[in-house]
Amino acid sequence: MARTASGRPLTPWLLIVPSLALALFIIGYPLYNIVFQSLHEVSRFGLIKDFCGLDNFRKVMADPVFMASLWRTLWWTLGVVGGTVLVSVPVALILHQDFYGRGVARTIVMLPWSVSLTMTAIVWRWAFNDEYGMVNVTLQRLGVISSPIHWLATSNWAFPVEILVGVLVSVPFTVTIFLGGLSSVPGDIYEAARMDGATAWQQFRKLTLPLLRPFINMAIVLNVIYVFNSFPIIWVMTQGGPSNSTHILVTYLYERGFRLGKPGEAAAISLVMLTMLFCFTLLYLRIQPKEGEGS
Amino acid sequence: MQVRLTQRLTRAAIALTAIGLTGITAQAETVRVTVAYYSDKTGPYFQQMADAYEKANPGDSIKIEVVNWDTLLQKLQTDISGGTNADLAIIGTRWLLDFVKDDMAEPLDGYMNPAFKNRFIGAFLAPGQISGKTYGLPIAASARGLYYNKEMLTKAGFPNGPKTWDDVIAASKKIKASGSYGFGLQGKEIETDVYWYYGLWTNGGEVVGKNGKAAFNSPAGIKAATLYKSMIDQGLTQPGVTNYSREDVQNLFKQGRVGMMITAPFLIGQIKKEAPNLKYGIAPVPKGTTSATYAVTDSMVMFKNSKVKKTAWKFLDFLFTKDPRVAFTSGEGFLPTTKEEAAAPAFNDPDIKAFVNLLPTARFAPTVTGWEDTAKAVSDAMQAIYLGKAKPADALKVAAEQADKALGQ
Repeated sequence: MARTASGRPLTPWLLIVPSLALALFIIGYPLYNIVFQSLHEVSRFGLIKDFCGLDNFRKVMADPVFMASLWRTLWWTLGVVGGTVLVSVPVALILHQDFYGRGVARTIVMLPWSVSLTMTAIVWRWAFNDEYGMVNVTLQRLGVISSPIHWLATSNWAFPVEILVGVLVSVPFTVTIFLGGLSSVPGDIYEAARMDGATAWQQFRKLTLPLLRPFINMAIVLNVIYVFNSFPIIWVMTQGGPSNSTHILVTYLYERGFRLGKPGEAAAISLVMLTMLFCFTLLYLRIQPKEGEGS
Repeated sequence: MQVRLTQRLTRAAIALTAIGLTGITAQAETVRVTVAYYSDKTGPYFQQMADAYEKANPGDSIKIEVVNWDTLLQKLQTDISGGTNADLAIIGTRWLLDFVKDDMAEPLDGYMNPAFKNRFIGAFLAPGQISGKTYGLPIAASARGLYYNKEMLTKAGFPNGPKTWDDVIAASKKIKASGSYGFGLQGKEIETDVYWYYGLWTNGGEVVGKNGKAAFNSPAGIKAATLYKSMIDQGLTQPGVTNYSREDVQNLFKQGRVGMMITAPFLIGQIKKEAPNLKYGIAPVPKGTTSATYAVTDSMVMFKNSKVKKTAWKFLDFLFTKDPRVAFTSGEGFLPTTKEEAAAPAFNDPDIKAFVNLLPTARFAPTVTGWEDTAKAVSDAMQAIYLGKAKPADALKVAAEQADKALGQ
């Protein structure tokens, strides 16, 4: 067997070279292209013009809407991911119980997953319509409100509503992860705990939660990546408006790039987003092994 | 025997190759046309035109691609950057300058003779011209007018529709008292800016000044914004205006729940189809100190990198003859852009005439760079004003600064 100078076998490396090269190309080329575009003046049609250094970044940073969108993206991610995990843990616990009709219940919880995000957002846009939307009509019939609430007309309502919809569409995926996690928890430890007189809450705190932790971590990371980049909900429901008050970075990027025809600035924004996600992943990897040692 | 057979076969093969070759050369003259989806009639119309043209010009072939408006610009951008763009395309005339700046559009003056130029109604040809050269031909045109609900407005004392903004306010107050909404005000998405320009222009204001800088931050602008805001505050519009796109307001109008709104001729067709019992009238945009309305054209352009320019032009020439124009314009509910077409009986309709009569006072979006940025800045300002988050003067000042950064850059 061929060996490298250090004595390691060479063959495995040779075997993965083709796929490694392909992966590097697939990841590397777009990245190179985006970096290249972000450093140049680019016309609406993608014609690369003069090199402009960090001008695109400077222009974007100088826009107050960018900074506002950046903070809002953090709130959006925190709100949706946090909300999703908080909702998903009890839902998964319930669906893990053996009860009559569990199959149907599981299907219903999973259903939103099978509908495209854009469609879901359109349906919710209707549901939150001022005049004939299901939400206002229901609330009025129940006598909770006397006149329709203008859900999507102001950011005070629109943004929380969008976060709620975001939570709703992220729950199925997260519940699936948790159910997988719960099924790997052995049943006998609960029996032992009950014998020792542990209450249901104690069982949850001391057994379920620690054993579920790796799965919660995974759900958080994956959801952060999805939600941070999630475009359809906000774009369909408010297009970042009214008055830029519901923009997150990705909708702001789209508007710059495709509405206002500035691909160079859009490339700069996407690099900023990439950096943020990269930092998050690094941070996460840092935290990960420590928890492994702890348990 | 065998030799002869081989010879025959060879000859046959040569003949076949020859046929094949001519077939290929004829195939080469394929003109690809990207058209915008206006309605479900658009695709069939262009296909029909392509078939008719192919019949009259054997050997040429026309390929039509229909693309949704929302994605049209993005598709063109992608196609152009990949070098796979069509030969002809419909574009929003306001994008034309960007095409010309990047040297994408072919100047058409070399192909046009005076007789061809003379086919058009002059006002519609002008927006497609940039620094003296014609780059786009007006394929579709529309203007804006005030639709009013006849029953409501008759009850309110304006059976022929309001003439001025004061009339609008007076009528809206009466309509409000009877439980409906008076004036439908658009507050989100595409053309939120334009809805305010109606008020700006009719009060004597301008969007972009002669110096190419933002001019909407003017006394007329403040007056228009204050007018709209005061209507919102008095409950004369539908509530929650920033939640209403143009389509949403049109829906309110079709449902007979709003007394007046300003929009394009295509609402006529929608009303006929969806609310045939609605009695409505069409009036000019209400006057402040002067009359004005907004007119829009979409342009057909030829791309510079096309390899079949001559055939493409022949097809364009055909599209802008009388019968194809009449079929297109009446089918889609647009306004005629050529003189022969305007004289056709299909446009003897009083509703269409009402719009045609508005044309002398019509404003077009100026062909300047940064128009989209201006639209965005103004729309944001309007939303802030409508929501009460900013005073008209302050919001307009910010918007003007924003717009100036992009205008003429």
